[in-house]
Amino acid sequence: MFGEQQRFMVLLIAPAALLLGLFQVVPIVIGANASFRDWALYNPKKTWVGLDHYKAVITDPAFLEVVLPNTFIFMIMSVAGALALGLGLALLLNRPFRGQKIVQTVLMVPLMVAPVIAAIMMRWMFNDQFGIVNAVLEGLGLEGQPWLVERWSAFGIIVLTDVWLWTPWFTLLLLAGLQSLPKEPFEAAAIDGTSAWRVFSHLTLPMLQPVIVVCVVIRAIDAFRTFDIVWTLTGGGPGRSTELFSLYAYVLAFLNLDLGRGSAAAIVGGLIILVVGIGLYRLVDRVTKT
Amino acid sequence: MAAIVLDKLNKHYGSLHHAVKDVDLTIADKEFVALVGPSGCGKSTTLRMIAGLEDISSGEIRIGDRVVNHLPPRDRDIAMVFQNYALYQHMSVYDNLAFGLRNKKMPESEINAAINRATEMLGLHELLKRKPRQLSGGQQQRVALGRCIVRNPLVFLFDEPLSNLDAKLRAQMRIEIKRLHAQLPTTSVFVTHDQVEAMTLGDRVVVMKDGRVQQAGTPLDVYGHPVNKFVAGFIGAPAMNFLEVTIAKEGDTLIARSPAVKLAVTEASSRALEAWQGRQVIMGLRPEHLALGDGVVSRSFAAKVEVVEQLGSEILLETRVGDTRVTAARVPPETIVAAGDQIRLSVQPGRLHFFDPETEMVIAA
Repeated sequence: MFGEQQRFMVLLIAPAALLLGLFQVVPIVIGANASFRDWALYNPKKTWVGLDHYKAVITDPAFLEVVLPNTFIFMIMSVAGALALGLGLALLLNRPFRGQKIVQTVLMVPLMVAPVIAAIMMRWMFNDQFGIVNAVLEGLGLEGQPWLVERWSAFGIIVLTDVWLWTPWFTLLLLAGLQSLPKEPFEAAAIDGTSAWRVFSHLTLPMLQPVIVVCVVIRAIDAFRTFDIVWTLTGGGPGRSTELFSLYAYVLAFLNLDLGRGSAAAIVGGLIILVVGIGLYRLVDRVTKT
Repeated sequence: MAAIVLDKLNKHYGSLHHAVKDVDLTIADKEFVALVGPSGCGKSTTLRMIAGLEDISSGEIRIGDRVVNHLPPRDRDIAMVFQNYALYQHMSVYDNLAFGLRNKKMPESEINAAINRATEMLGLHELLKRKPRQLSGGQQQRVALGRCIVRNPLVFLFDEPLSNLDAKLRAQMRIEIKRLHAQLPTTSVFVTHDQVEAMTLGDRVVVMKDGRVQQAGTPLDVYGHPVNKFVAGFIGAPAMNFLEVTIAKEGDTLIARSPAVKLAVTEASSRALEAWQGRQVIMGLRPEHLALGDGVVSRSFAAKVEVVEQLGSEILLETRVGDTRVTAARVPPETIVAAGDQIRLSVQPGRLHFFDPETEMVIAA
């Protein structure tokens, strides 16, 4: 059926296909199957229930009114914050100064910190009794805050942690982008008497746009799936007020041990991010083509 | 009035690389000067110092009556065309042309008028809405020219603007730039490594090598009276032939002699050569000043044809004279000649150049 060349090609593809199948396709199929069944630790019969779990998830007020908005607000704020800071740092680093290499290396440190550790660090810094943030505030004569006990301050700290973690990543990629821009248009602009702001808004930004868009797409999809820092910082609390999508699915499946409902939630989330992802990829396509 | 004066201009990169050495040059108002030399000779650095894109290590640059050493580029009232056009890729041609004027907050109606004038001159009307990527190299460079024209600056600077174009376009753009300069006489400095561009465009040609100005003069001057062997070899295509000869005297006439050549020197230079009797010098003869055939016996020598290049309008002959290669041009295209033929080449009177073998400076012009 196959020629020798085709057999060789199949042989080359086989290991990757096998891995992908075993660790991606099979679990997804099992999960999808589970999402149509009533399957919990206390009820292991796996009765077929059709779309019941899906209905339950998409009509769950906690999912609709807390988890989904939280997830998108987190995604937008975290990506926007890290992008703005990363771009600022990249612009500052994109000029020769003494110690440029050292500063650049130091700025990369958060990239090497495991998110869980960063989150634990933050949790202690913002601890209302022993945290350094409150200690400093009180030292300045201000009142300490119960940071992680109130919804929006807790949410803010989650975003802050994520921004801190991911700013260097943006810096690194945007700096590489900046350094690959041709010099001459900037020299021409200097001769044309262009102000620094106009150089930034009319040359740097548009020329860097393809890099920015790709970074944003990758990070946005990634941010949608954030679990570790939220789990460590607030566990979704106070109450369920800082719960993100992946926590929601995790709690359903592995804390409530309702595997059917959890799988349905995971697949709903997967579909959402698929749609968002396709939209963002379209955007990349448009930007890189024009 | 915008004369440019370079006074003892120097550029060091670190302590090791001395890119531009003591360049003195005065460019008159509305003059078109071509800076030419091999790559790494400091011509581009010199231009970029005039533009303000490079710091000046020492010396002074004046544009008009201002010393501009410490002025940023935007305050020098110059415009520059780059080798790779340096257009703003994400803007339309119109916006590219308008960019510099909008920086100055000029009213849009005036911008429009300025752009109309420039597009008229350059034939860019149909391209105004396009993006640079949709244009050919020649069109892009024309837009870059337009961007300079609309600003109506004191000085035009050109940094190898034609190097990225193919030969045919290059010849067209050369004419276009020449026409432009006739229409809008503006002080211009044009950097190129192509001596044809330099010769055809420049009111004056400045030949540079190793950071130093070798010679500055009219095209005819640097061609006819090169001050040293480098300029002689650099200007003119095909390049000048060089032969090592010994100067001797036979009767009343000086002769230049090598094992393969014996030529009577009738040049005006013969008086200066008197002092070189019995010593070796380098003799230069241009390919286009060699003719096939005997001519006067004392002005010709034997050569063996190695390569025949038929150009249609003429034949280029690569020949061997003793152990040196000699190129002869302007051989009529109908001439029947083949590799291996023994021929005689004769020299037009008054066309020999002689150089000091040590300093490589011309012995007499």
